[in-house]
Amino acid sequence: MNVRTGLIKIVTFLGGIYFFLEFVLPGTLFGVKIDAYHDQISNGFITVGAMAAGLGLINLLMQHGSRIVFRRREWVYSAALLTGLAIMIVVTYNDWSGTRRVAEEVAEITRLADFAERIRSDREKRVEGVLPVAERNRALRDAAERVLARVEGEIQGFDLDRFGAGSIDHGLARRYLAEASAGASAVRAALETVTAPGTDLTPNTAAARALRGVADSWRNLRNLEYEHSTPKHVYRLLFEGLFVSLGSAMFSLLGFYIAAAAYRAFRVRSAESSLMMIAAVLVMLGQIPFGVWIWSGLPEVRLWLLEVPNSAAFRAITIGAGVAGLVMAFRMWFSIESESFDGEG
Amino acid sequence: MPGFENATPGVLVIMALMIGPVLYYIRAARRRDLYVRRLAGVDAIDEAAGRSAELGRPLSFCTGITNVSPVLYACLGVLYYVARKAARYKSRLLLPQNNPEVMAIAEDVLRDAYRAEGRSAQFDPRDVRFLSEEQFAFAAGYIGLVQRERVAGAFLFGHFAAESLILAEAGQQAGAMQVGASVSPEQVAFFIASCDYTLIGEELFAASAYLTREPIQLGSLYGQDRAKLFLLLMIVAGVGIATANSLWPELDLTNLDALLHLGWSLGL
Repeated sequence: MNVRTGLIKIVTFLGGIYFFLEFVLPGTLFGVKIDAYHDQISNGFITVGAMAAGLGLINLLMQHGSRIVFRRREWVYSAALLTGLAIMIVVTYNDWSGTRRVAEEVAEITRLADFAERIRSDREKRVEGVLPVAERNRALRDAAERVLARVEGEIQGFDLDRFGAGSIDHGLARRYLAEASAGASAVRAALETVTAPGTDLTPNTAAARALRGVADSWRNLRNLEYEHSTPKHVYRLLFEGLFVSLGSAMFSLLGFYIAAAAYRAFRVRSAESSLMMIAAVLVMLGQIPFGVWIWSGLPEVRLWLLEVPNSAAFRAITIGAGVAGLVMAFRMWFSIESESFDGEG
Repeated sequence: MPGFENATPGVLVIMALMIGPVLYYIRAARRRDLYVRRLAGVDAIDEAAGRSAELGRPLSFCTGITNVSPVLYACLGVLYYVARKAARYKSRLLLPQNNPEVMAIAEDVLRDAYRAEGRSAQFDPRDVRFLSEEQFAFAAGYIGLVQRERVAGAFLFGHFAAESLILAEAGQQAGAMQVGASVSPEQVAFFIASCDYTLIGEELFAASAYLTREPIQLGSLYGQDRAKLFLLLMIVAGVGIATANSLWPELDLTNLDALLHLGWSLGL
């Protein structure tokens, strides 16, 4: 056994025993919290798996790139595939960055709300080593002023007409604008009192609540605006309009294929296929009103066929495959490899 | 034993019943030959490989949407065998892929098989093709590949979902000899209708042992069969207890799990 093979076997065994013990042991054993790092360990395994994600992309580029470069047969299709890939990467990146931009804008306001609450909680808990409350409140007010000035500036110049007068989105946008505007005024009113002398920090809570209100309205408005932007339209066109539709088209092929496969399967060639055809006819007739019209007992027959012989066969297959899978997993865990895969061949 | 959560007596007994016979029969298989009944679907693998060589058309081996799992390892045993046959007969073997992790492993197995046959130069990494991770995009890519390359033999081994019939019908239309194997009962029906031969459920796990006749694989196969026998006995006993309880409630028979718990609490 060489070093590489030995190392792989050790890592496999340790990984297996970790998940086995994680299943059988409780979270805390003899006072030791053994599940404290489970999330990090699981994420580690996911990260190792994610390293393989780029392999598919590399394979596609190599396969189709070489076909284009050397002008092999049907290189045009490869060019179409890689062009589609490139366009989708650009469009998806645009969509992701647009969504992130909105989230960052809102996060700025939410952070201010958190800060306002933190000033109060630090005071109540008598946290030491922080700036005096008055100074922190002044910083809060200055930062909030800057953010509010930007929000209000954008509210002023907001073009409602882009949603189309009278549309549902137009009404929603108008409502969000009004809420954001009212929220900004509420924040200002609360901030007027936060820096006033005294120990009462109730205005901080009011300012935090008002800031969260502004954040919610602003998020809704920006999301609505983004939904009407060109990048989102292009993304929807390519993803929902093209990709999802093509997937549905492929799925719909199943209907035709089932008919073709059923024709082959139900041809009476042997005793088994005759039995299968009779069972299929009974199940189909038991499903439709015409079958009930022929004989009212057919739904009962259908149900019996599905729940008794069919379930028995399903369970037999499932149990057999489950046991075989368990044994294979055990062999993988203990690296009881076949000679073909032991790495020594 | 205090503190254990899922390590119930039932779990431990079942694990012992599963693993004990496997270890015993792996040792037994090293000493004597173990008989495995004939599997028509597995015999057809040789036939398909030969047919592909005669026609001068490629083979394809598809693991569907299988992730890295015990099912994949069972499929890799068959892939290794098919790849060696393809290398020996100088046939091309196409590996359409849906999962990048599986692709890396399958490519390695393919390379090893060509090397084992002394045909490393014949191995072409471009035959391992990543199509898509999306189920139906993968199916569309597979249809195109099978039709364009006019495959002579198609092997569909692994985990499949709604795309199973699309893949199998594509091979059927291309005139390929097909062997399907799935552990999902729902998809087995589609394979029976569309493939020339079908391996049902655990036969997928048995295929590799049957082909290679290696002691480890044969021993595992024998072991898991004995383990299933234990399970069958437990099912029969459970049915008997439940029936007796239902017919004569005054007997107040306890079930198997409760018996095991009782034994556990008594420290037996």
